[in-house]
Amino acid sequence: MAPSRGLLPLLRTPIPIFNPKLRRYSHFAAAATDSSQKARVFISKSQDPYLNLSIEHYLLQKSPADSTILFLYANSPCVVIGRNQNPWIEVNLGVLRNEELGVKLVRRRSGGGTVFHDEGNVNYSVICPTPAFNRDKHAEMVVKALKYLGTEKARVNERHDIVVDKEDKDAILKPYKVSGSAYKITRLRSLHHGTCLLSSPNLESLSKYLRAPGKPFIKARGVDSVSSPVTNVGISNSKFMKAVAFEFESMYPEADRSQRFTVFEKEKEIPEIAKGVEELMSDDWIYCQTPQFTFSTENVALSVIGQRTKSSWPSMWSGVSFLQ
Amino acid sequence: MASIARSLRPVASRFVPRSSRSAPSWRLSSFQARCFSASSAVQAKKYTKDHEWIELSEDKKTGYIGISEYAAHALGDVVYVELPTTPMEVAAGDSIGAVESVKSASDINSPISCKIIAVNDSLEEKPGMINKGPEDESSGGGWFAKVEVTEAGIKDLEGLMDGAEYKAFTEEE
Repeated sequence: MAPSRGLLPLLRTPIPIFNPKLRRYSHFAAAATDSSQKARVFISKSQDPYLNLSIEHYLLQKSPADSTILFLYANSPCVVIGRNQNPWIEVNLGVLRNEELGVKLVRRRSGGGTVFHDEGNVNYSVICPTPAFNRDKHAEMVVKALKYLGTEKARVNERHDIVVDKEDKDAILKPYKVSGSAYKITRLRSLHHGTCLLSSPNLESLSKYLRAPGKPFIKARGVDSVSSPVTNVGISNSKFMKAVAFEFESMYPEADRSQRFTVFEKEKEIPEIAKGVEELMSDDWIYCQTPQFTFSTENVALSVIGQRTKSSWPSMWSGVSFLQ
Repeated sequence: MASIARSLRPVASRFVPRSSRSAPSWRLSSFQARCFSASSAVQAKKYTKDHEWIELSEDKKTGYIGISEYAAHALGDVVYVELPTTPMEVAAGDSIGAVESVKSASDINSPISCKIIAVNDSLEEKPGMINKGPEDESSGGGWFAKVEVTEAGIKDLEGLMDGAEYKAFTEEE
């Protein structure tokens, strides 16, 4: 599989170097809050999953209440669990830590299940006013983009995932998942983000990250994943991003193609984003946000209550009791 | 709870909230007749545009908070409820927790300024109770939190809708 050529080819608009209106990193905050823009596309050049999720959250919190935003990004290899999930059930943490690939563990702020990201997977995120929120609207928008690019059998299923109907090895037509969705709804603004497997080199091996050895021993509150067979769409990141941006700008004609904004690693210096990254990377968030669970073997059962604390040393096992 | 109801389920706009069941019918008819009965106003539920409710005690010092029938129906099956830690002082509109349903983490916001003194712990184990009885503040019900009302909170109440106004509001959506 060819590695992604990055996002630079996506920017067709030439940027003059000495123009005082040059869109440098310090202008991202201004762009995100610009109330004259009712619809806008943002594209990330960073592959840091913690940064991309923090930028996304910043856009959710800061973009004008009546605007609609599309944010596109790809991450370096990571396993991303939902807000209310249990990493000991969903992920093989031992494999993750020892893997040469350096796969990160990320807990996102939206709901839903566990997914695997790498450079052959592009994430799209649409932020809109909460009264206009709809779980399928923007998934259908992405399906339109996929069909335009030649994936005719793409469709949105009843779980709001995007699947492609393909023949399996016995020549039976089956749905293969190419995109999963998750959502976050706040008072004024709502977010729908989804993955899209385009050319991941890790399809065969991703199940080894997602099969947790502790699973049979754990009874948990919180949210379980629903696993599905997956496939790659088979197109490049840049073609996909261009097609999705195009469909977005067709759906929201107020979006000006020349106003597509690129975000960089430097956005990390914006204080709210730095704080967001710090929170997402903390053990407190990744592990202690886990809902209460019980771990039991033949002889002993542990009830684990992670308590999120404000101190720098998370008390991960602050509520452990032995049940006989 | 955000105003997602109409956009989530097309049939939701035809759904009639059962909030009228929790108050004796004579109270509601006095609302419709615009009667200025202060004590009944205190005990009946008040609603926000984001589909949260608050019901105060007789002495207006404490109250219960939850999400409306309309919201619970629109959300779908709730699979997890994130409860706040206590005590917690909040202003009107502040996020006090979240529910997860259909892969969505939806914020629940406080209808008024108050201090959260207790939460409905049974929602942690049985999140489905919020679907079964979202406006039920009894011990087996799906109420979300118990609060102490502050002075600012009493003022916030004036901006909320009563049962009849809320019913009309949801029918418009």
